[in-house]
Amino acid sequence: MPDQSTIHSNSSSAHAQASAKITSSESARSPRLIAIGGGKGGVGKTFVAANLAVALARLGRRVVALDADLDGANLHTCLGLPSPDVSLADFVAGRTLEPEKLLMQTREANLQVIAGTHANLDTPQPEQNQRVELLRGLRRLAADYVLIDLGAGSQRAVLDYFLVADDGLLVLRPEPTSVENAYSFLRAAFYRRLQLGARGYGVREIVREAMDQRNERGIRTPYDLMREIEALDPVEGRRFMEAMRGFRPRIIVNEARTENDVKLGFSVASVCEKFFGFRADYLGYVNYQKEARDSVRARKALVEYREASEAATYLKRIARKLVDSSEAKTFSS
Amino acid sequence: MRGLEELDHYEILEISRDASFQEIDEAYRILRETYADGSLALYSLFSEGDAVVMRERMEEAYRVLSDLTRRREYDETRRDEKELPPAFASPAYTSPAPSAPADAAEVDPNLLPLASSPSRDTEIEEPGGGVWDGAALRRARIQSGLELEEIAEITKVGIRTLRQLEDDAFDDLPATVYVRGFVMTYARTIGIDPARVAASYLRRFEESRSEQGRGRFLGRR
Repeated sequence: MPDQSTIHSNSSSAHAQASAKITSSESARSPRLIAIGGGKGGVGKTFVAANLAVALARLGRRVVALDADLDGANLHTCLGLPSPDVSLADFVAGRTLEPEKLLMQTREANLQVIAGTHANLDTPQPEQNQRVELLRGLRRLAADYVLIDLGAGSQRAVLDYFLVADDGLLVLRPEPTSVENAYSFLRAAFYRRLQLGARGYGVREIVREAMDQRNERGIRTPYDLMREIEALDPVEGRRFMEAMRGFRPRIIVNEARTENDVKLGFSVASVCEKFFGFRADYLGYVNYQKEARDSVRARKALVEYREASEAATYLKRIARKLVDSSEAKTFSS
Repeated sequence: MRGLEELDHYEILEISRDASFQEIDEAYRILRETYADGSLALYSLFSEGDAVVMRERMEEAYRVLSDLTRRREYDETRRDEKELPPAFASPAYTSPAPSAPADAAEVDPNLLPLASSPSRDTEIEEPGGGVWDGAALRRARIQSGLELEEIAEITKVGIRTLRQLEDDAFDDLPATVYVRGFVMTYARTIGIDPARVAASYLRRFEESRSEQGRGRFLGRR
């Protein structure tokens, strides 16, 4: 693990040992990228990202958490780091091209952070070629997982991280506004993926039309779109199907208070399949807990601040599930 | 990817073809709430008309599949028509994430109160030679202090299947993708590394299957 800018060093030796074990057995693999989005601001993306990062680190995995929310960068604060000296802003401004030079060590032995911005800089989003370069750099990091905390909204910059990542996590809160934004985010991400995949001009045009809800061809769902494309070009139709299969967002319901809130994840997954035509997994939920807010005030992850709290347990469970599902794939035939 | 009208009863309920009655019932209850009027999950997306069609399909699917005789007749007619539909036969659909029942079992533990999940601190011994066979699973389970009934309750995997896992009753177990899901869920529940255990268990499982020829399982793959 790169060892510069060590700010805190009171990490427990147990964690350090766990990390050493991983390094020896798995160091050759490139990290798994996990993007955490949700469309709407305030649903708890950063909270979930910070907690999963700490939880994964405590499972002995080497983790880098990247704050890609350049408008409201505060992942470093949630993890107890002071105002950063280096950040993604340095990358965007071209001051460094090496993401590893932006790493900051946290209190957790296995967890490093790349902050979003520093010194109140008004940082523009990286251009597309910079994003490609950044992602390439992230894949080279000596880590097992790179968690990317996405900004709100459905701009291209946000969508592209979500699409390129190995896992796209969608955080939503059980309320209509969040559900609505989650769907518009998924719709936008999905069509963006298709647009990137579509070659022929005619097809690209259809995808663009489909994104406009009041379109004249009557394309309302991805299914309608596929029929339209297939009629136009069977080869593109198949490409469309392929693009669709790889798109498999994983849902997290945050601040669940009732049994119905918990079930929302299943329901949204079902709606994705029946309406959009792609599969979504329900990764888990995090119940509402007052201490969650306190943990943010204490500038700690909840899994650190109140390790035994119910919400922390659910967060750890989600981390465990991420590990199980991604590392199990190594064994599948 | 197909429209609602092209999905069969199993796909409508989002369950596997060997789903137990309990799984069918559970799936139906969740979907009924999902597509009910005013459901939060439909917000901004489904028009009233879409939801009506989905509700009708769902009721019909449940009516058929929840009745053993009707389900058998339905399966028979489906089998005559074709093999598994393309979406399920494609590798992208079945792997790397395991099949529908495994998915369901993976999510379910989340819904249970925390008290029912075992402490991960329990020390569980590695089996000799690192081979996780049925007997090793049973030993690990006993060490974790869980009864088979409790595992069934937590994982929603049927007790008969769990017993078959522990007995290495490979002939009676379903296709590999399902067994992988079952073993991983089992392992996770008693607090041992699911990936490693499943890899070890499946190695023996696959060997046994390939020895006997796979013909009879093809229909279920």
